Amino acid sequence: MSPATMKEAMSMNRLLALVMMGAALLLAAAAHAAAPGIKGTTFNLTAQPAYISQPDGQAVYSWGYGCTGGTPGSATFAPPASLMPGATCPTMQVPGPTLIVTQGATVTVTLTNGLPTAAGNTSILFPGFQVTTTNGVVGLLTHEAAPGGTVTYSFTASSPGTHAYYSGTQGDLQVEMGLYGAIIVLPAPVPAACTAGLHASNLTAEAHWHESDFRLAAAAYNHARSCYDREYLFQFSEMDPNIHSQALAQVTARGNCAAGAVGCSLEVATEPYHPAYFMINGRSMPDDMDTNYAFQYPHQPYNGNPHMHPGEQVLLRVIGQGRWQHPFHEHGNHVRILGRDGNLILSATDPNSLAGPLLFTTTTTPGLAFDGIFYWTGRGLNWDAYGHNPASPDPNARLACTPDANGYNTGAPTAINYFEWCQDHNKPLQAKPFGDVAGGGPVTLPDPNLFTNGPWFGGSPYLGPNATVRATGPTGTTPPSGTIANPPTSEAGFAFMWHSHNEREITTNNIFPGGMLMMMLVDSREFVIDESN
Amino acid sequence: MLSTQLLRRGFAALTLALITLPAAAQSFRVQCPTSTITHPTAANNNSEPAYVGPTYAGTAGYPAAPAHVNGAIKCQQISGGDGYASMGDGTQTYLFSFGPLSGLADIAAGLPGTQFPSVFNTLYSGAPLQPGAPDGSGGSYNGAVGQVPDADNGNAINGHVDPRPIMDVGVMNGNIPAPLMAIDEDDEFFLTLTNVGMIMRPDLFEQHTVHYHGYPNASSFYDGVPDASVAINIGASFTYYYLAPDAGTYFWHCHITPPEHLQMGMVGQIYVRPRQNRVPASTTLYAALQQQQLDPRTACNSAADILCSNPLPAVQTTATGGRKYVYNDGDGSTAYDVEYPLQIHGFDPNFHFVGMTFNPEGFADMKDKYFLLNGRSYPDTVTTGPLETQSADGVNHFSQPLPSIINIPAGGKALLRISDLDTTEYQTLASLGIPMTVIGINAKMLRDQAGNNLYYNTNSITLGGGESLDVILDACQVRAADGTCTTPYAVGDTYYLYTPNLDHLSNDAENFGGLMTEVHII
Repeated sequence: MSPATMKEAMSMNRLLALVMMGAALLLAAAAHAAAPGIKGTTFNLTAQPAYISQPDGQAVYSWGYGCTGGTPGSATFAPPASLMPGATCPTMQVPGPTLIVTQGATVTVTLTNGLPTAAGNTSILFPGFQVTTTNGVVGLLTHEAAPGGTVTYSFTASSPGTHAYYSGTQGDLQVEMGLYGAIIVLPAPVPAACTAGLHASNLTAEAHWHESDFRLAAAAYNHARSCYDREYLFQFSEMDPNIHSQALAQVTARGNCAAGAVGCSLEVATEPYHPAYFMINGRSMPDDMDTNYAFQYPHQPYNGNPHMHPGEQVLLRVIGQGRWQHPFHEHGNHVRILGRDGNLILSATDPNSLAGPLLFTTTTTPGLAFDGIFYWTGRGLNWDAYGHNPASPDPNARLACTPDANGYNTGAPTAINYFEWCQDHNKPLQAKPFGDVAGGGPVTLPDPNLFTNGPWFGGSPYLGPNATVRATGPTGTTPPSGTIANPPTSEAGFAFMWHSHNEREITTNNIFPGGMLMMMLVDSREFVIDESN
Repeated sequence: MLSTQLLRRGFAALTLALITLPAAAQSFRVQCPTSTITHPTAANNNSEPAYVGPTYAGTAGYPAAPAHVNGAIKCQQISGGDGYASMGDGTQTYLFSFGPLSGLADIAAGLPGTQFPSVFNTLYSGAPLQPGAPDGSGGSYNGAVGQVPDADNGNAINGHVDPRPIMDVGVMNGNIPAPLMAIDEDDEFFLTLTNVGMIMRPDLFEQHTVHYHGYPNASSFYDGVPDASVAINIGASFTYYYLAPDAGTYFWHCHITPPEHLQMGMVGQIYVRPRQNRVPASTTLYAALQQQQLDPRTACNSAADILCSNPLPAVQTTATGGRKYVYNDGDGSTAYDVEYPLQIHGFDPNFHFVGMTFNPEGFADMKDKYFLLNGRSYPDTVTTGPLETQSADGVNHFSQPLPSIINIPAGGKALLRISDLDTTEYQTLASLGIPMTVIGINAKMLRDQAGNNLYYNTNSITLGGGESLDVILDACQVRAADGTCTTPYAVGDTYYLYTPNLDHLSNDAENFGGLMTEVHII
């Protein structure tokens, strides 16, 4: 084993230990993201220091925005606390609280500067909005809050979509230190098409399996092609630990200096830049796959752990919050870019048609937010992804697939194979019958002793516990070993790695795996996706 | 560097060890069925039939008999292992890499190594294949290295292999880029990865995988991510199975410890040709695309599917079939005359040295010093034919099959299928002289949901790792309304593709070379 792979094994072992130790955390509770934040029109934020945690064991001195007093005040948690018990808005977090507002609302954000005095002023920029400032002191780009002081920004939430906010004061240092966050503007009104047809049918399916609806809205924009069934927010950033340790050393050395006094400032070199941490929502893999609001990360409440069912339209809200671009590769399918920075991209000749590109690698660009739609259906695999077997004694192996006009089994929202691609229904994959899976297909799988299983391997080529348990052995009772993060008997989803394709960024301080990496799971309907924690 | 003799001895010992173990200890095999449920008639699967109608019309599907059997069967075998390549400054660089184990003659000629069953299942006869093949031996052989009659099954040709030729050819025979693959829409593609081990790193027991990057609606099982699937161990083979996805420029790579295996060279190219190439010259492309709309698998209905890019064109034309196209455009707007796959990559020589010498590799400070187009830096990019590299076994191995010389007939159009698998940074490629027309990004045609083409002209493109796009270079200065060229570029002219990332125009310490090649008007 090379040192690199040894690191991999050590790291994976650590991960496995985490998974096993924390069955209640990772598996049983199985929190699966959503796009949590605080919703309202008035937000009181504080900028202050704290330490954020990285999976190599480091606690990194950082600055972040948080809720003044540790409560959202007049804002409320969204999804509501009834759906996400344990939701918090600490006084400092990275990224900052996701501010959720409704289109047309007047939004007021009051920022209190709780940074060390030597850090000087701080502020927030809201690119894309016409901002009015009150109080504070004049700064280069906007009004700023002096140490201990406040500044208030107000603007009309004019355009729906996902937007970034971040420090407008000494950004090379303050954004690096963690002063950034997201604003989600929900469209008003939501197009009627988004609560009818297949979207209503998807809700029926969710309800049948006792899943809750965690969406902030049913559409990303005031447009019928922007409907969605599930959503996730990912903020990409990187950290150079040297900058953070310099900042800490200088803040410590300055002590309780008086604001404005000679020497009461920081001279942190932000170049040359050598980031070693590559984060999604302030966490590096595998921490990003722990729950939202997990107690281990008191200052990094948001995770990156997407799950979905076949056929669901999944909205990805993605922001580049660092200073580098990252090619974010979504395994499994393309992403339709709806818009960037709240600007929906429409056809020049037909306002009902979208014109954004279809991408399998979505570049995250500093300061830029995009909204995109992803789905997975298994169309075109040329074999039955559920391993149905019309000769099986198991009724779940003999489910019907009745195609709609587009070829999907959407007439039966309570069935396990809701949204199955019907053209390949019952079409075998394997040449020889195996377990309770029919033969006659094109390929021969090698002896399982010849290959190595991954922890997210569902246990068979098929989707869902029913198919996998039937397929894993002649007796149907011997699932393969090592598939602990996606167990054959209870989940057996198709797992896809979503990660930065500048591959060195899927490391944490030189350790692989880590960094900008998460596992997206397409779960069969009988596995309940529970986005609460 | 270890002595050649010592290596040869070690090499022989390993080979011996592998072949003297009980039969179960190695499990090489290939898969290339001559017929399947989808392609039931063996005799029809060795060529691409014309596209005259959809496989299924309406919502019919298996087990109903298809209305038209489209596409054919394609097969390819590759090795996963290690090897050496030559950099533009002459440095011999160690690779983790894939090598060809079928289509050897085609690969050596710069062509895809993907074959129909009739070719793949042709048994080799002649002098034994030598280490370093195909340059040392093999001649015109394009079949599966190692395949022999299965004596236990009536001497059937069923994928049974003799491991000796596989080890002879496959060990330390890696290529950069990895073997080229090309398939046609509606094909079934059987891709066998044979893990021959990394002879220079006996401490590693590494698996390798194939990640077909961009495959839509992929199954995780064949997606090649070891964490989410299975990965084949040394001494065994795994056959990936794909129904050819939508036409476009894709690429593939190993997904084991990606920062390491990609940097070390396990990157390759694959593209899918559209069924529009198979439309008879007498049929309008618009009518053919209307036929595709009848089958929900090949349809693009913008109102029902947010992830399709080729609805019927907004402007109906009378263009007919008979040419080569990048996409099923329905209007002939993606037609081209010649095509060139171009893969952008970068090597950090320090990482490669460390990777050969059993030392811990750092990721955060990875810094590329060689900037590669198809595994070569300028001036090697304009050297014709395959490059060889003397490897640690003292034998010259076939290492870099693909030059990057773009030859365009005067007045014609060249398609550049550009992909980037750099592991560290974004790279820009600019065209000096001939404008680039970008017609597709990430294996999807640039067309809005209302059918308007969104192609654009530029003189440079920028890609990060894991991205691809399609560029047309038109060697015509003025075209008439009917598309004929009235003022071609002059025969004999030379233009350049180069990177404006000026520090990338270097080969390590040499301030000359890097990401650059030539465009010749012929």
